[in-house]
Amino acid sequence: MSKLGNRADWADDEEFDDPSALPAQQITTNKDGTKTIVSYRFNDEGKKVKVTRKIKTTVVREHVNPQVAERRTWAKFGLEKGNAPGPSFDTTSVGENIVFRPSVNWKVQAAEAEKNGGEKGSMKDQLKDKKVKCRICSGEHFTARCPFKDTMAPVEEPAGGAGIEGGAAGDEPAAGALGSGTSSYVPPHLRKGAAGGGERMAGKYEKDDLATLRVTNVSELAEEAELRDLFERFGRVTRVFLARDRETQRAKGFAFISFADRSDAARACEKMDGFGYRHLILRVEFAKRAT
Amino acid sequence: MRPILLSGHERSLNQIKFNRDGDLIFSVAKDKIVCAWWSANGERLGTYAGHQGAIWTVDVSPNTLLLATGSADNTVRLWNVKTGECVKVWDFPTAVKRVEFTPDGSRLLAVTEKRMGFLGTIVVLDINYGENLSEQAEEPSLRITCTESKATVAGWGYLGQFIIAGHEDGSVSQYDGKTGEQLENVQAHEFDHQINDIQFSQDRTYFITASKDKSAKLMSTRNLAILKTYVADTPLNSATITPKKDYVILGGGQAAMDVTTTSARQGKFEARFYHKVFEDEIGRVRGHFGPLNTVHVHPAGTSYASGGEDGYVRVHHFDKSYFDFMYEVEREQLRR
Repeated sequence: MSKLGNRADWADDEEFDDPSALPAQQITTNKDGTKTIVSYRFNDEGKKVKVTRKIKTTVVREHVNPQVAERRTWAKFGLEKGNAPGPSFDTTSVGENIVFRPSVNWKVQAAEAEKNGGEKGSMKDQLKDKKVKCRICSGEHFTARCPFKDTMAPVEEPAGGAGIEGGAAGDEPAAGALGSGTSSYVPPHLRKGAAGGGERMAGKYEKDDLATLRVTNVSELAEEAELRDLFERFGRVTRVFLARDRETQRAKGFAFISFADRSDAARACEKMDGFGYRHLILRVEFAKRAT
Repeated sequence: MRPILLSGHERSLNQIKFNRDGDLIFSVAKDKIVCAWWSANGERLGTYAGHQGAIWTVDVSPNTLLLATGSADNTVRLWNVKTGECVKVWDFPTAVKRVEFTPDGSRLLAVTEKRMGFLGTIVVLDINYGENLSEQAEEPSLRITCTESKATVAGWGYLGQFIIAGHEDGSVSQYDGKTGEQLENVQAHEFDHQINDIQFSQDRTYFITASKDKSAKLMSTRNLAILKTYVADTPLNSATITPKKDYVILGGGQAAMDVTTTSARQGKFEARFYHKVFEDEIGRVRGHFGPLNTVHVHPAGTSYASGGEDGYVRVHHFDKSYFDFMYEVEREQLRR
């Protein structure tokens, strides 16, 4: 009978999957004398949160007068009434460490620290006499603002020349700049010894470059539609890009024409080079890949 | 040192006091409640609720039985420190800006504001520590009226012999603690620069004043002689003398109303440490986001607490470097 009774108790103790029940707090004592307390609670969203705390207890013995010792036993009152002993998280926290080292010439030191901090702190001062340089056309603008950023890959630049135009560097896979001895990771196929690379994914440049013409000495008054008409005669034109001034919207004097077929492009190049268009003589050549 | 941040108040702090044993800290702010904290770990012991207005001042009796507070609701209240009950309320015609117990705790002074046709006064109330703490004298035993310039702060000199008061016009006066007769008046600070705080040394033979004129002065209680002057670059709200080491701590910063209109440099919201004897600034402790309204030091000189306009109390337990610092001359003297 007693055996049976025990069994029943044991069964009662079995935990059922009650979502509202919280597992009991576990306290384990570690080898180094610290304690690990794992407790569970519900957060504001009603989700169960596991809290693991590692506690090192240091016993500090202090001799105080009896009055102080007596006060230690006082119960909490007012807003704190009924709260558990120990600091509550919503009223008491520990600030960041402050180094306080009194010294006679404190003022001098502080002034120096401020000076150093000032030099380091202000990004504006640091960059005061640096010039912005585009990695595509070397003009004085950010790479991201370059009018040719859709048509040309960045020009190769000397190693370690990562200037301040970094803001735009993420825009393009700067294939040309990699592998030139910077400390950053270079994939094996791009390393110097790697014989021109095996299979490369057809990037947006390779595909275009084969059949893209660069047209220079284009009139300021040129229009994209006109250029398209001019070159459409030789084959299907996939894209016409006319560089324009950002402010005035006037053409800058050069354009890129992409053909669907390279043979069409070659023919257009041959025929249109030296063509008179809007009082200027066009110069047409295959766009160079900037590698 | 890692400061302990106490965030029990919702508005700017007005005064912080350690009790005589230094195990408790009492803080009052503009938000109507008084908080009591354990100084060692920053745990809140409790709160004292009952005031109807901003609380300007707090003091605890030397035996830590009674707590006195003065408030903008024109009352001085006496509390049972242990239970948080209010045991006595004294009504005044105007707000109470400062309260302080005598060194023996038998009397309490209260500084009342000059307002609505009432002149500023300093009143003295007799305190009774009997079986029943609520049996207190109804009427003040002494009333000093400040006819010239209202008193902003006041405190008791050694043995409760004198009442030392700081005035709105920057002068400091000495009254007889028994009769209330004015014995001395010294224009210690620049004219019309209010004195914001007076705190005494442990034996109350000298005290430090903090004034709006950007300086703090160490003065003798007996004859109001100016012993030392500590010059800061910002108006001062509070100053305290550290026991154990010969330092003073000054707290200040631009007035709260000027913060938005002047330079935003955080730098002025720091506790400034000066050497008490050599008058040199020896260091600063940062941390507050607003001007420091009050600083008070542990009676054993092992920690200090500061309360700011930002509503935080920061309790700092000093490091070894604080105690080790010595001037060359001090070291020489030690060697001899």
